[in-house]
Amino acid sequence: MALLQVENLGIGYQTAKGLLKAVDGVSFTLEAGRSLGLVGESGCGKTTIGMALMGLLPPNGRIIEGRIVLDGIEISALDEDELRKVRWSKVAMIFQAAMNALNPVKRISAQMAEAIQVHRPEVDDSAAMERVEGLFNLVGLPLERLYDFPHQYSGGMKQRAIIAMALALNPKLIIADEPTTALDVIVQDQILKETKALQEKFNIGIIFISHDISIVADVCHDIGVMYAGQLVEMGSAKDVFFNSQHPYTQALVSSFPTLAGPKTKLAPIPGEPPNLTGAIPGCRFCDRCPKDTASCKLEHPKWQEVGPGHHVLCDHC
Amino acid sequence: MTESRENKTILQMEGVSRFYRTRGNVFRGGGRLVVALSKINLSLRQGEIFGLVGESGSGKTTCGRLIVRLEEPDEGRITLGGEDITHLKGKRLREYRRQVQMVFQDPYQSLNPQVTIADSVAEPLITHKVGDPLDHLERVLRVLKTAGLSPPEDYVYRFPHQLSGGQRQRVAIARAIVLEPSLLVADEPTSMLDASYSAQIFEILQGVRDKLGATIMFITHSMASARYLCDRIGVIYRGHLVEQGPAEQVINAPKHPYTKALIDATPKFGRSELVPTYGTLLAAERPATSSAGCPFFRRCALAERLLCAGSYPPWRQVGPRQVALCHFAQEEVPPPPPAENAARGETGAP
Repeated sequence: MALLQVENLGIGYQTAKGLLKAVDGVSFTLEAGRSLGLVGESGCGKTTIGMALMGLLPPNGRIIEGRIVLDGIEISALDEDELRKVRWSKVAMIFQAAMNALNPVKRISAQMAEAIQVHRPEVDDSAAMERVEGLFNLVGLPLERLYDFPHQYSGGMKQRAIIAMALALNPKLIIADEPTTALDVIVQDQILKETKALQEKFNIGIIFISHDISIVADVCHDIGVMYAGQLVEMGSAKDVFFNSQHPYTQALVSSFPTLAGPKTKLAPIPGEPPNLTGAIPGCRFCDRCPKDTASCKLEHPKWQEVGPGHHVLCDHC
Repeated sequence: MTESRENKTILQMEGVSRFYRTRGNVFRGGGRLVVALSKINLSLRQGEIFGLVGESGSGKTTCGRLIVRLEEPDEGRITLGGEDITHLKGKRLREYRRQVQMVFQDPYQSLNPQVTIADSVAEPLITHKVGDPLDHLERVLRVLKTAGLSPPEDYVYRFPHQLSGGQRQRVAIARAIVLEPSLLVADEPTSMLDASYSAQIFEILQGVRDKLGATIMFITHSMASARYLCDRIGVIYRGHLVEQGPAEQVINAPKHPYTKALIDATPKFGRSELVPTYGTLLAAERPATSSAGCPFFRRCALAERLLCAGSYPPWRQVGPRQVALCHFAQEEVPPPPPAENAARGETGAP
């Protein structure tokens, strides 16, 4: 059985202007040891999915349809107490603003040991510290920095500490939400390579959320492209980027500058994504789509297979 | 791309340094001197887009701020069109700012939230008493259109919060070009934006150069963006300019170990086979040495202790109009860039 199954997931935020459907009809599965990159522009719902997988939706957000099954447990049906047991031990998250995710007034080692002992009360102090030291070695942090405070760490070191914390309880799934956005390219490259190596070593499933498609292309096995709350294309990284079928994916790929290959002219995507409050009858991309036809606006496009394991939400692909 | 227009030097920085003093405190005593920029020599040619590439803290923003004279250099000289502007004051400084404008990194903070787009963009015209106030609106509309906001009438009476990040950044560009400056400093204008908006901003900046003939200094941390947009690239490391040259040369045949490390670290979009791997970055940093040596010594895999730790490297000519600050840099016959060879046969996709 797949490690993670997401079926027809819909998530809404209650806003002053009515229900905003941030995620609509998203389905995918993730096997253990595989990595999935969720990419899309801001507001496309990728972080919302990550938060739902952790059971951390904000108070005005809720799952309105579909279900999330992680390792046989239906996360979408758990209450807060049960969620707390799953969180961190089965699914851990590397947050977007890792710089701010550490407690500034506690030493790094104490924070990590605390995370372990909260979930595993049977672990005594010395065993917890042993585990913390092991984690430090794992992510390449020097042991003499164990008792430092977060402000004594550089950005890359903090990010490593966050990754170590995510690994502390041997989770089966890690959700990395823009884990390297605030970092310099050289540090970013090191962190990405290390994350990938750790994932392979421990056979963890990773969901990599990013707006930077060049990063996920290098790191992930599979890619899901999101637009306006829907998954519009999904397949292996190679299929999605070098044989893109959905007009949005094609536009996204050709709007990205790259170092490899010949220098091609970038094509910006005209227009803006639609407002997600209220119902949208047809395809959500049709206002910006070069292939737009009259029927696109009227009917929901279908999720169809265009190659082995390569799906697209478009009627004209 | 624009060889003919690139000949005349418009801005020149000669040995420019900038120091900051950290605030001392009770425990540590007096402040520490931080070198933000160290003896920068740089010239921008008329009508070119020059990319200044570096990591955070490398001094690239400081360099931009010195050029628009938000700060004064502690050493060295900056000239614009032959006139020394290093320590301009008062009226002359105001005149200078008419010619040199800046686009800031964060469009969420660079626009006044209480002022409409029309008033925001017209503000420089009022400050500099340009044109008849009755014509301002027309001018604002025209410049908004140049900045890719069309129809401009839809935007003039909106407030910044009613715009997306990409639209705000276009307003910020409109505001910077409304005075038709001869030099525009764009400080990471796309780092806060999504990719689809970045491409729009690049297109607009190219338009500003082509239509207004402005010279642009594009400050970025992304080699890929610099490759796309710029005619020439300068690479800056901890306040030292370490390599400079035509964009394609610096990317395809980098000569400074730091430039090579930057290229190694840039995501290759799943096509790493098209770009060579240099491996010039040391896995573990060396302990600090004297400040006399090469600025990159601590992280350089190619460094030789005696030479590199002890003496500051010279500028070496390493290619046509390409220079690198390294003891070992030398002109070499570059291996045919694999990027082009492999890619030509492979994809014809746009």
